[in-house]
Amino acid sequence: MTTGMTIAERLGRVAYRNQGRSDAKAHIEVDTSICNTSCPHKCTTYVCPANCYTVDEAGLVHFQFEDCIECGTCMYACDQGAVSWKYPDPERGRGVNWQLG
Amino acid sequence: MDDRFDCIIVGGGIAGLSAAMVLARADAKFLLVERGEFCGAKNVSGGVLWGYDLARLVPNYWEGDDPGYERFVNHRRLSFLDESSAFSMDFKSATFDETPYMGVTVLRAKFDSWLAAQVQNVIDAGTHAEDSILATDILVDALEKDGDRVVGIRTGDEVFYADCVILAEGVNNLLTRQIGIEPAYVPADHVAVGVKEVIALPEATLRDRFQLSGLSGLTNEFVGAATSGVEGGGFLYTNRDSVSVGLVLAMADLRDKKRKPYDLLNEFKAHPAIADMLSGGEVLEYSAHVVSTGDVAAVPSRLYDNGVLVAGEAAHLLLNSGKAIQGMDYAMRSGILAAGTVLSAREAGDASADTLAAYQQALDDSYLMKDLRSFSDAVQLFHSPTMYQKVPNILCDFGRDFFGIDNEPSSKAADMLKASVKKHASLWEMAKLGYKAARSL
Repeated sequence: MTTGMTIAERLGRVAYRNQGRSDAKAHIEVDTSICNTSCPHKCTTYVCPANCYTVDEAGLVHFQFEDCIECGTCMYACDQGAVSWKYPDPERGRGVNWQLG
Repeated sequence: MDDRFDCIIVGGGIAGLSAAMVLARADAKFLLVERGEFCGAKNVSGGVLWGYDLARLVPNYWEGDDPGYERFVNHRRLSFLDESSAFSMDFKSATFDETPYMGVTVLRAKFDSWLAAQVQNVIDAGTHAEDSILATDILVDALEKDGDRVVGIRTGDEVFYADCVILAEGVNNLLTRQIGIEPAYVPADHVAVGVKEVIALPEATLRDRFQLSGLSGLTNEFVGAATSGVEGGGFLYTNRDSVSVGLVLAMADLRDKKRKPYDLLNEFKAHPAIADMLSGGEVLEYSAHVVSTGDVAAVPSRLYDNGVLVAGEAAHLLLNSGKAIQGMDYAMRSGILAAGTVLSAREAGDASADTLAAYQQALDDSYLMKDLRSFSDAVQLFHSPTMYQKVPNILCDFGRDFFGIDNEPSSKAADMLKASVKKHASLWEMAKLGYKAARSL
């Protein structure tokens, strides 16, 4: 295994919309009760390129949308119906604002 | 109705803006809506825009003060990696220095906003300077329908009407699914995920390191140890004063192998052949996006309906034949063809599915669908473990023997190759592969 930039360092180089808003509206809804009961793989916790899905010490899946870069990965990788994926609202939502792309 | 548009385009990426350019040149009245702060703000690609369509869409684009692209491609390399080595096919040609360029590297936030500015210039010179609009920061919630016919878009409380809507919303095509052109759930094996970094290097360093001259550029694709056993490949493209480096990883295989894409990117960047190219660079931006696999089977069977057309990656129009990943040129051509169909429909005064079927025919007659069909075997081949794992190992073994000089009696190249093949596969397996590759490429 090699060392390199951490995902937190990488996300520090991403510009987001409405970064100052504390009440930003979530654009992705995750039914983590599915992740935490019947899901055999909890795949979003590793395939998400922005590490928005994490597992706590008790093995439970948590989701946060603030770091989401709208790539779409979880919408395809999740085959358990837990992810409801929409685009963020330009005014009230979060989401990415690529400077280079 | 005065407010009615000839056409509404959803999405200010390459497909949408290419369609917009065609409509603007024909002096049609249209509305393009983009959900980002500016065109390109939500878009990511590798990225190389291949072919000559850009020169047709924006003649002499390379002459402007701000030409939008990063570098023109005159040097291409395909590298097969094992853990320690890189065996490459390398081609550089001065014929590729001539305009129009065969390919240009782009950064989408810059390129798409440049292309939008070119479209705006054409709008401003036409009779619809006041009422053809490129609107940003607008998210379309739904398509407005009248019976089975798409008649406009709905955004918040507002509805905008048009004779025809072009969906150019990208691979995460929620509206395309809403109207049933694509099923609501798209399975993981129809897509891959790309992860990428743009890494700054001083222009002089970049020029010396990659043997660039003026605005010439290198594209380098990687297979084998690039993806640490996950189906996919890597890329490195030179920009003005940065490189774009990243991986494209098959979604289903990434899931099965339980790997994190950013860990794989770290491993790729640490490969000795890649690390040397990146040394001293500073990461400017990290990005990721889903990308179509480039499999013809992923393209919906019908890309039109009453009052609506689907273009670009929203239609999964992308080719990954092993020679190159062609997503942006596919977006550009399909956008051009969609707009052409809209103009014919306007002339005929009929945007029913029967008339818009001409779009599907135009796609079928173009290189897009011809190549997608004729290279479908090559796509399968490139996605086979033999190709992305065994072949790179064989070539690197052979390379070490062939290029290594050890002051011992040496065997002949053919024997070296045979020995390398036997170590990782069977001669029969490689003979079959060679035959298939020769036929499919």
